[in-house]
Amino acid sequence: MCSASDPSDRGGDVNEWEIAAAVLGLALIPCVGVALLAAPASGLAAMQVASVLLATILVLLSEGLHRQPFVDLAVVFAPMSLVGSLLFARLMERDL
Amino acid sequence: MSWRAVAAAILLIAGGLLELVAVLGICVMRDVYDRLHYVGLAGFGGLLIGLAVLVRESFSLIGDKALLVGAILVVTGPILVQTTARSLLIRQLGDWRAKAREESEQ
Repeated sequence: MCSASDPSDRGGDVNEWEIAAAVLGLALIPCVGVALLAAPASGLAAMQVASVLLATILVLLSEGLHRQPFVDLAVVFAPMSLVGSLLFARLMERDL
Repeated sequence: MSWRAVAAAILLIAGGLLELVAVLGICVMRDVYDRLHYVGLAGFGGLLIGLAVLVRESFSLIGDKALLVGAILVVTGPILVQTTARSLLIRQLGDWRAKAREESEQ
């Protein structure tokens, strides 16, 4: 049974939401570069921006593909990334 | 093309551009405190994209959750930036509050 969200129904067309998700996915590469190559504190800032990008990409994929689990993942990921970043900041404070 | 599609496209492009500017700022700025400013900007990009989904889908399950994600990103952005900057300052200078307390007791 094919649903409306089946990619085969769309004839392989790419919509604007998927294009935006792809562009933001490419924008993750500089963030990863800064996180790997710059000082740890700058890497933390890059990681925080990357986590915002990733939450947005999940929302865009959910809308583009009409798959609700992606947006559920974004709802969970957004607060969890906050907790992770705060933990990193706290550990960095004590040079751990 | 309906007005909803046009409004959603405008919000989508604006949100995407804000996030790209945030990534550019992270790459171009040299100081970590300058870089931290762009975390909040990226959150606002996320909110605009959430609004784009909301305009397109109206108050459906996906639309509501997209708006929720945008709101979370905007609200938590300043908290994250302030806490990170404070931690980095303590790492750099030591705990200035304890020193100030000792000085006031003397």
